[in-house]
Amino acid sequence: MTEPLRPGQALVLVVEDDPILMMSLVDFVENAGCEAIEVSTVVEAIQILETRHDIRTVFTDLDMRGSTAGMQLALSIRDRWPPIELLMVSSQPWDTSQIPARGVVLGKPFDRRKIEAALRKFAA
Amino acid sequence: MQKRGETALMEPHSIPPIAVDDERLQALDDYAILDTPAEPGFDGIVQLACQLCDVPVALVSLIAEDRQWFKARVGFPRCETDLNSSVCAHALAQPDELLIIPDLTVDTRTQANPLVTGEPHIRFYAGAPLRTSAGMVLGSLCVIDKVPRPGGLTQAQQSGLKLLAEQVLSQLELRRAVAQRDTLRATEAQTYRAREALRETQMAIVAAEGELQPILRAIVVGAMRAIPAADGGVFELLDGDALTYHAVQGTVEGYQGLRVPLAGSTAGHCATTRQPYLMIDASRDPHVKHELVACLQLGSAVLAPVLQGNHVLGVVKLQSRQPFAFDQIDLEQLTLFAGAATAGLTEAEARADARAKDVYWRGLFDRLSEGFQIGEVVRDPGGRITDWRYVEVNPAWGELLGIDPSTVVGRTVREVIPGVEDEWIVEFGKVVNSGQPIAFTRQVGALRRWYEGRAFKLDGDRFGVIFLEVTARVEADARRVALLTLGDRLRDLTTTGEMTQAAAEIVGLALGATRAGFGRIAGDVEAIEVEPDWTAPGIPSIAGLHQFDNYGDIRAHLQRGEALVIEDVTTDPRTRDNPGPMQSIDVGSLVNMPVRERGRTVAVFIVHDVQARIWTAEELAFLRNVADRVEVGVARVRAEELQGVLNKELAHRLKNTLSIVQSIATQTLRGVSERELVGAFERRVLALSRAHDVLMQKSWTAAKLKAVMESVLSLQADLDRFAFDGPDLDISPQAALSLSLLLHELATNALKYGSLSTATGLVRVAWRTEHGNAPSLVLDWTESGGPAALAPAGRGGFGSKLIKMGLVGTRAANLHYDLTGLRAEFRAPLTDIQIHLH
Repeated sequence: MTEPLRPGQALVLVVEDDPILMMSLVDFVENAGCEAIEVSTVVEAIQILETRHDIRTVFTDLDMRGSTAGMQLALSIRDRWPPIELLMVSSQPWDTSQIPARGVVLGKPFDRRKIEAALRKFAA
Repeated sequence: MQKRGETALMEPHSIPPIAVDDERLQALDDYAILDTPAEPGFDGIVQLACQLCDVPVALVSLIAEDRQWFKARVGFPRCETDLNSSVCAHALAQPDELLIIPDLTVDTRTQANPLVTGEPHIRFYAGAPLRTSAGMVLGSLCVIDKVPRPGGLTQAQQSGLKLLAEQVLSQLELRRAVAQRDTLRATEAQTYRAREALRETQMAIVAAEGELQPILRAIVVGAMRAIPAADGGVFELLDGDALTYHAVQGTVEGYQGLRVPLAGSTAGHCATTRQPYLMIDASRDPHVKHELVACLQLGSAVLAPVLQGNHVLGVVKLQSRQPFAFDQIDLEQLTLFAGAATAGLTEAEARADARAKDVYWRGLFDRLSEGFQIGEVVRDPGGRITDWRYVEVNPAWGELLGIDPSTVVGRTVREVIPGVEDEWIVEFGKVVNSGQPIAFTRQVGALRRWYEGRAFKLDGDRFGVIFLEVTARVEADARRVALLTLGDRLRDLTTTGEMTQAAAEIVGLALGATRAGFGRIAGDVEAIEVEPDWTAPGIPSIAGLHQFDNYGDIRAHLQRGEALVIEDVTTDPRTRDNPGPMQSIDVGSLVNMPVRERGRTVAVFIVHDVQARIWTAEELAFLRNVADRVEVGVARVRAEELQGVLNKELAHRLKNTLSIVQSIATQTLRGVSERELVGAFERRVLALSRAHDVLMQKSWTAAKLKAVMESVLSLQADLDRFAFDGPDLDISPQAALSLSLLLHELATNALKYGSLSTATGLVRVAWRTEHGNAPSLVLDWTESGGPAALAPAGRGGFGSKLIKMGLVGTRAANLHYDLTGLRAEFRAPLTDIQIHLH
């Protein structure tokens, strides 16, 4: 069961365009004791980041429509908001040299333990 | 008077013995003065003597064996008298002083002398001896009067007469010296003529080139010139047991063809003994055939045998009507001619032999279909071989090299074939230096021809080469090897760029071209994008985009899908109007072989040569073949690339789909209180996905056993908790998925209840193949360092069932719940596990 929202919980911006997968990602965030803010496009994600300054972690799927949108988002976040942590999931092999600094990429299908461990680490 | 005369006749002692002394007579002979005409030198002396002594008669009297002869005389009618009438003879007895008889009628030596007793009644005599430097008295210079002179001569007259006698002797000496000189000259002239005759005879023999009659004639004519004493000559040719007259000259001219027997003739004797023979006097010769002496007018002769090889060819004979006409010198002379004839005939024979052989070999040489040449190396001042010169070549040589053979003899190979490879000089140089023959197969690049042959040393700095042109064979070999190599390379290479570049290099080298490459056609054969090409050293690459129209009217063939072949850009109607653009990229001739796809020319295989060149049908077929193979190879690589992309996309979709399955399950089971079961489900999906990952690396055709194990087990725990032991195997996709799920369940249990539930427990995963009737894979899972294992209660869940199913559903699972931990053994037929190769 998802844990209840509590004030002071670390905010995780979840970027995912598939509603079913979004459910799982939010699940992982909440299980890790964080609060999820859901957006389904990169544009929305940028808007949130530009208006809020309390986002600790961005959790994004790299397999979204537009193919490279997720990775572009990750790169621009590292560029514009360096303190924000980046957790990414992908169904495709990735080139580690392309990953922004401190970013973590995990494969699909999901390994719940590793995802939640990474989220907890970033929230700490 | 009569009585005295009788007494004188009866007293031969009245003539001194010295008068007939042989030595003295020989000395007189040596001057060759007797019976010669009067000479002014002597006449002057007797006139002077008359004036000196005031007498009417003066004589130069020489005493011969039986007479006295006057070389010069004044006041005396006869030129000679017998010795009985000689007063001078008495002068011989006293060589050192004058003989003066004041009254001849009273001197006992002369009173009976017919010249005293009769006409011309001489009365006074004074004679000075003519004495040679050797002491021989030849006669005297005497003065005579017809009246007695009791007072004799005055002292002055005596010494004057002595001096005049010395003058007579000087005249005699001078005369003899001149005569000797003339004789010497005559001898020299004759020797010269003889030598000339010999030389001309030798030349005539050489010129006769082995023809017998001219040789025989030359010998006889030459010998007669050299030996003037001969008035006839003949060559008597040996013919069985007879000798036949040939080359008859002079007195025997009418006897051509005369036969004389070997036995019983002088020539037969000469032929039999093989010795030259001097026939001094035919009338007394022991060997001569006497019946012939008269008709042949044979007085004397010289004969010498002429040999041919080891046989007597015949005898050359010179003869004279006179006996004693020849001497030893003549015999030697004739022997020289016979020797020249022998040498000439031997040489002519050898030459005829050699010529016959030469004609034979020359014929072979000329008819030979192989090229043949004789060369002579050219050395620098240090003796190093730098070149070689053509000494002789045969007609086939010209055909095989395409060079007029008559133009090469005397020139060097570097002159005849500019730019010829150094190996052609180095290798033949080694043959000359070492004497070892070699075999070669090598190209003359400038001629674009290949030759195979052998080179061998001849005498000195010369060598011979016999060879054939093997261009067609070598080039066919090169093309075949090139196609094989191309096949290998195309199979191994994985990108189209690598393929076209490999093909370009192979084709360029096989055809000896200067550039080869592959270009993709843009539009309707408007432009070509040339990929990185192969070029010969010094030739620049033309990789990049080129417009066809910039190079001439060359699109039509390619548009129709035909090969574009230009043998010479300066004469081909498509490019000759402006060959500059072609020449600027080092193209003298070219082939563009189209590659078609769905009826369109999509690419061309390009071959260039900087020189004009004839592209043979074989070469074009080869290029067609290469272009086809490249086309197939490129298509294969393209298909593989596409397959790879599809595989990746499929993997991506599969994984994404599995994520969605996970999410749906999780959300669906949101109400289920046993979260653990949900987690187990998620992890089983994950394990399945890992097997796919491994399979993906080999495009779902096979997976490595160990990679599958590591991938799945690393989901559960650090890999250092596992000890792997077994040979790595390729396993089928089904086996990989089964193994993944099996190991996942085993590891999950180990984490919950077994060795992995403690901090230090381990699992040993070992596998082996067993070969028996049915070869099988045996997999052992052995836990240690954890709690004792307990068999699960009841029927067990999905996990337990999965484990009992074993590998690929064989149910061959042996589980032992030991105190040390779980020990499990799984078996499966190897045929179910391994990849099936088709």
